[in-house]
Amino acid sequence: MSKIHLEVIQPHQTKIKDDFEHVIIPGIEGDFGVSENHTPFITIIRPGILTLFKDETPEKFAIHDGFVTVDNNKVTIVCETIEKSDEIDITRAEEAKKRAEDRLKSKNEEIDFRRAELALKRALVRLSLTQNG
Amino acid sequence: MQSIRDIKTRIESVKSTKQITNAMKMVAASKLRNAQSRILQARPYADHVNKMLVDLRKRNSTSQNPLLLEKENIDKKAIVIFTSDRGLCGSFNYNIIRRAKEYFAENPSADVICVGKKGYDYFRKHTSQNIIKQYLGIFNEMNFNVSREIANYLLNLFLVENYDTVEVLYNEFKSAIQQNIVIKPLLPIIIENSEEERSLDFIYEPSDDVVIEELGKKYINVEIWRIMLESSAAEQGARMTAMDSATENAAEMIEMLTLNYNRARQAAITKEIIEIASGAEALK
Repeated sequence: MSKIHLEVIQPHQTKIKDDFEHVIIPGIEGDFGVSENHTPFITIIRPGILTLFKDETPEKFAIHDGFVTVDNNKVTIVCETIEKSDEIDITRAEEAKKRAEDRLKSKNEEIDFRRAELALKRALVRLSLTQNG
Repeated sequence: MQSIRDIKTRIESVKSTKQITNAMKMVAASKLRNAQSRILQARPYADHVNKMLVDLRKRNSTSQNPLLLEKENIDKKAIVIFTSDRGLCGSFNYNIIRRAKEYFAENPSADVICVGKKGYDYFRKHTSQNIIKQYLGIFNEMNFNVSREIANYLLNLFLVENYDTVEVLYNEFKSAIQQNIVIKPLLPIIIENSEEERSLDFIYEPSDDVVIEELGKKYINVEIWRIMLESSAAEQGARMTAMDSATENAAEMIEMLTLNYNRARQAAITKEIIEIASGAEALK
């Protein structure tokens, strides 16, 4: 019984196009779930984990940016980066985490803290997805 | 008159040129196919971002977001000019340069951002326009990160450096044999009104304004990406056509030269026969 149609669109491809029972999306003001007959809704995505429920085991993706539109049981996500756990390069994510942490610790004024913080968040999301499957 | 040997070397060299232009034509044709399919793949993304923006604008037509606000006095202008990195593509770059010169005549103080090496080389040497930034060699490996970098730079010009408008000049891909020159404003964002009636009863989180801001930035990003794809497809199309006619011209030239070669050969033979015949006559 699949009730929601989900499309995930990237600039160079349509990554996911399928029906799901229930999805959990990391919105900018907190994670939210979408089931059948959700109210029309548009928000910005923050780095987090997108969870899709269809069968017993939910599918999980790391997603970093974008917008989501919920309208008439159709969920459309436009984003630049979305990865499944096996697509994630763990060593690269760990390096990125360390680099971002170093930047945040340093007192250098030329550093763009917002950017470093975002980079750290992205790295943490990637790592948490690979650790919890 | 050219000697027989001269003509022969000439034919050989034209033949090898023809081989090269023919190969370039094939390469351009296959790159064009790739570029076309990338345009198609990028379309759903661009369409969706566009649709969201149109909806938002309709719902919130009084938004004071600086990205959408047209300024009354336009003093400080910037123009982004897209050319190719490589030559041998017919009038592709020349058309852009000619249009740009017209633009400079009207806006002598406009600052220029060059995307593509050909345009940069030309404008640097032949115009007094101020080039504030250039992106070279990006068409070899097209990815979204480059377009993001350009978009962020332009947004910064508009939002922080007080440019009143940012325009773009590029070749639009019509078909493999046709390109259109397009010049249009990129910033502030002008949203065309759609007639289509749709329910606009969305809840926006965190707020309309924040979503407009983020979406506007994304829109610029997507536009730059689209223009890059269009321009690169148009470039390959132009190169394919140019190389096709070059190959044809070479074939014609070879025909002409072969004719000359045969004539010269025949003239030499005739001359020899006459010499022998008259020599024999003299001995009688």
